[in-house]
Amino acid sequence: MSTALPEGTYGRQTWAIVVAAYRELNARKLFWLSLALSGIIVVAIAGLGLDEEGISVFGWTFESPFFNATVVPPATFYKLLFTNLGVEWWLGLGSTVLALVSTAGIIPDLVSGGAIDMMLSRPIGRGRLFLTKWMTGLLFTSLQVFVFTGACFLVIGIRGGSWEPSLFLAVPLVVLFYSYLFAFCALVGLLTRSTVASLLLTMVFWFLVFGVQSGEALTNWGRTASAMEIASYEGEILRREAENPKDPFIEGLLEERDAQAEDDATWRLVHNCFMGVMAPLPKTGETLELLERLLVDRSGIEAPERERRGEGVFGSNRVRNREVRDEIDRQAVGRSLWWTIGTSVLFEVAVLASCVWVFRRRDF
Amino acid sequence: MNDTSVIDLRNVRKTYKGRIEALRGVDLAVGAGEVFGLLGPNGAGKSTIVKIMMTVVRASAGDGTVLGKPLGDKGALSRVGYLPEHHRFPAYLTGRQVVDFFGALAGMPRAERRARTEAMLDLVRMRDWADRRLGTYSKGMQQRVGLAASLVNDPRLVVLDEPTDGVDPVGRKEIRDLLLRLRGEGRTIFVNSHLLSEIEMVCDRVAIMVQGRVWAQGTIDDLTRSSKRFEITMRGAAPEWAVGLGALREDGASTTVALQVADAADAQPVIDRLRAHGVVIERAVPVRESLEDLFIRAVTDPSSGGTLNPGALRDRPSAPPPPIEVAS
Repeated sequence: MSTALPEGTYGRQTWAIVVAAYRELNARKLFWLSLALSGIIVVAIAGLGLDEEGISVFGWTFESPFFNATVVPPATFYKLLFTNLGVEWWLGLGSTVLALVSTAGIIPDLVSGGAIDMMLSRPIGRGRLFLTKWMTGLLFTSLQVFVFTGACFLVIGIRGGSWEPSLFLAVPLVVLFYSYLFAFCALVGLLTRSTVASLLLTMVFWFLVFGVQSGEALTNWGRTASAMEIASYEGEILRREAENPKDPFIEGLLEERDAQAEDDATWRLVHNCFMGVMAPLPKTGETLELLERLLVDRSGIEAPERERRGEGVFGSNRVRNREVRDEIDRQAVGRSLWWTIGTSVLFEVAVLASCVWVFRRRDF
Repeated sequence: MNDTSVIDLRNVRKTYKGRIEALRGVDLAVGAGEVFGLLGPNGAGKSTIVKIMMTVVRASAGDGTVLGKPLGDKGALSRVGYLPEHHRFPAYLTGRQVVDFFGALAGMPRAERRARTEAMLDLVRMRDWADRRLGTYSKGMQQRVGLAASLVNDPRLVVLDEPTDGVDPVGRKEIRDLLLRLRGEGRTIFVNSHLLSEIEMVCDRVAIMVQGRVWAQGTIDDLTRSSKRFEITMRGAAPEWAVGLGALREDGASTTVALQVADAADAQPVIDRLRAHGVVIERAVPVRESLEDLFIRAVTDPSSGGTLNPGALRDRPSAPPPPIEVAS
């Protein structure tokens, strides 16, 4: 039977590890560099402004009849900058790379000779030790996102006149997004004990996930467009049959529809393959896009203007790019949280469970 | 199990991947309040024993207790202080933060931890450097802070792996004094070291490990008792009748005969007879094997007379010399 520890031991141990992790962040130049870059981006966002004449950049106004405060309300303008530039590009890419570089060494450092002996010889379970150290790896991103979002909240409030607390949804969502990658990073770090290997393989993994998601998006576009084409053919065939059952064009339309149906089957097959591969993987892109969806729902941010050109797809004029994009947007909104978050968290839990299993069994 | 044992290991075995037999059935007992030294050549299995006790490595077979709790019990570690040989502390922490950190990991409340941290930094004479980062410390200073960190939780058992490694002679003496002081406070100390002279100076009992087995364990006096002899040095050559009494060693104008007797009283008849024959006795001294002699004997292959190969056994049937039996 295990010996009982004094009351409050778990809390003290956890707090000590978190405080040590914070001190480690403080000692890392990359943490401060990342914060400085966040500051520059916030200043850049604050330096942009919309008035009735056009757009202003640090006080210099560029007149524009198409892009001014009468076309886009300033609050919406700043919120779109926040979600598209701030979250998608900075937090979702730039800051994430810096965070990975900074935190990839956490698990290899933990299991390195000399350090692991000191940690494992304390009255703390291996599973709890590993998971606590893993969670401290999220501290970098948590602090970065919180500071960045807080600064953007002030900018949107002061410059845009809209105080929008729902912006802080970015904190859990970006941290969740990062946690998918960091779970994989921790597994590689544990298995290889190498910071470089865990960083590089996590980047490769992230790139592969991005590739699968892009493939799914591309084939979904083809599948959706193809289905819309077929629906368009069928609509026209029905209309012509209703008007004149012996319409000579019906035969041709049926042949074209059947040909399209064959393409459609191929699109569906390939898309289903991508969906099958994507299902167990973390939905990195969709998790960040969720923020935009939630902000649209909660703060009335309009989705960014999509391509409005009127070209048809598949060389015909039956279905327009814009219509396909609108349909795909509807599908994206229709995807459940279970699909986006649930399957990603399942992946993360499976990876972390593997880590704990390895960590508990390994001799150091 | 011995009720007074702080450490009690029974037939502990460890086989690493690649069929490397690091431990081949280790029995070890350390009593409360003693300083116990574990000796052995590189790869004998000393560190593996320590790591098994500290839950860093799991035993493949066997069982045992540490502070009365089964091997692997994490709770028992709250009263254990451990300093590994090649310890590595985060360079971004200060000495004070390191000691406080390990106190917190042991579950100590904040106020108690702070007081103990200051006391331990004082004990290892590092208080003046306590607010500097470890990255600026010398090896010896890191060792001192490591000692403070291993003692911060007021441990009943202190396990030190090569504690004087990298420490200058003055620091070594301080560490030896510290070990004796800790023993005076009633703590049990388990020291793993290559430095036989230091072990000899501070340890109440020792064990010598060779190729994954305990070759001998007991007090140094017990272990060397069988080697006890009485050497009589006389001027000139030994009389003919004295040749068969023991090993003879001629040294210029003198001859020394080594009598295999444990007590000086047993040597008196020989001295009397020598004197009766007019032999001049230059010196008569009791002699016993040093710990180093004993250690060398442990690592010598009795069949070849050469030193045993260092390292653990790897799928190899050869055996170290038979252990000597000593009552502990």
